[in-house]
Amino acid sequence: MRLLHELGYTNVRHYRGGLADWKDSGNPIESAVPVGAQAAQPAEPRARASAYVAPEFRANRFENALLGLIERCSTSELSLVWLAIILLSGAVYWIAALAGRPVLLEHGVAVAGSLNGLATAVYFSFVTATSVGYGDVLPVGWARGLSVAEAVTSLMVFGAIIAKFVSRRQEQLVSEIHRVTFEERLDRVQTNLHMVLSELHAITAMCESRSVPYKRVASRLESAVRVFAGELKTVHDLLYRPEREPDEPRLRAILVGLASALEGLQEVLSCLPEEFSVSPILSGTLKRVSALAQEICGECVPRNYAPALTVWMDRIQALARELS
Amino acid sequence: MAELSAAANEPDSPEVSRDELIRRLGDPSLVIVDVLPRDSYAAGHIPGALSLPLAELNERAREVLPNPQAEILVYCAKFT
Repeated sequence: MRLLHELGYTNVRHYRGGLADWKDSGNPIESAVPVGAQAAQPAEPRARASAYVAPEFRANRFENALLGLIERCSTSELSLVWLAIILLSGAVYWIAALAGRPVLLEHGVAVAGSLNGLATAVYFSFVTATSVGYGDVLPVGWARGLSVAEAVTSLMVFGAIIAKFVSRRQEQLVSEIHRVTFEERLDRVQTNLHMVLSELHAITAMCESRSVPYKRVASRLESAVRVFAGELKTVHDLLYRPEREPDEPRLRAILVGLASALEGLQEVLSCLPEEFSVSPILSGTLKRVSALAQEICGECVPRNYAPALTVWMDRIQALARELS
Repeated sequence: MAELSAAANEPDSPEVSRDELIRRLGDPSLVIVDVLPRDSYAAGHIPGALSLPLAELNERAREVLPNPQAEILVYCAKFT
């Protein structure tokens, strides 16, 4: 929901009970729509969703479709398309000559529909498509239009091929950078969670001794909770919008760290005396922590994880509920 | 600490009750979105719901929900 808000949807509401509540109360369920038919079947609901399309989406659609097509095709596929454009156009010039209406002139003489003529036609096609244009063979009549179109499209395809070659190396570098930063971020999350936990233990001890002024307890608790909220957000994002998958033992260690930090937080909060007034900043951060942590459970995260991990996710959710 | 329970209901995304949902099931102005994984959608979903798995939200949101002002209702497995 929050993700949808971030994507710019303004009027999003939420059915809290979810599918389970819907089913349990005996309401009808639509099912057995095969995944493949999904595009065809919801034509009606999709149509109503698109009753109004913001102009900025419409303008980008063509561009996106084109870029998507280029992205999906491999370099060799694009090269094949390029070759096909040239050979097909060459064949068309030759077929015209074969039909007795030559459209190519070589030194003022019409190129015949012979095998030699085919070679000339393909040669002309290459010279045109690569924008070399020697000018020894000339198109006449409608072939002019075709050769211009051929030159434009083949140059575009050629450009896409070059771009793909160039970007491949860049992509490798970027993905390497992503990998390194991702690893570092996981390290940071793990370390910070450890620190939060030990800090929370220290605060509990301080609080239990009743000899330290509450002001100091409050400020330490505030900063600890703030660091915790930041790391919790990172883990939440990691589960909901995974760019990369951390390996299982690592994710498990992080989840365990989260759960124990939540437990530590509970301990501190239960030790705080009645007269302790929670500052607005602290209560805001606590709210955020509890809301984020409640969204972490085996069933609510979008992916399926191993039971060893979901157990901890469920534990985190349970702890967060207790906290609230 | 009691006020913390309010945190789960985010203020900017109001809830829809089951009764309201039943009432508005055939309403063309309400777009229902199932954010569960694809196989769960195939196994069963609220009638008329569109499938937009959370994992694909970023990439496919524009395609499934072209209108940012549409009234959208999302649901999950249970309790999010």
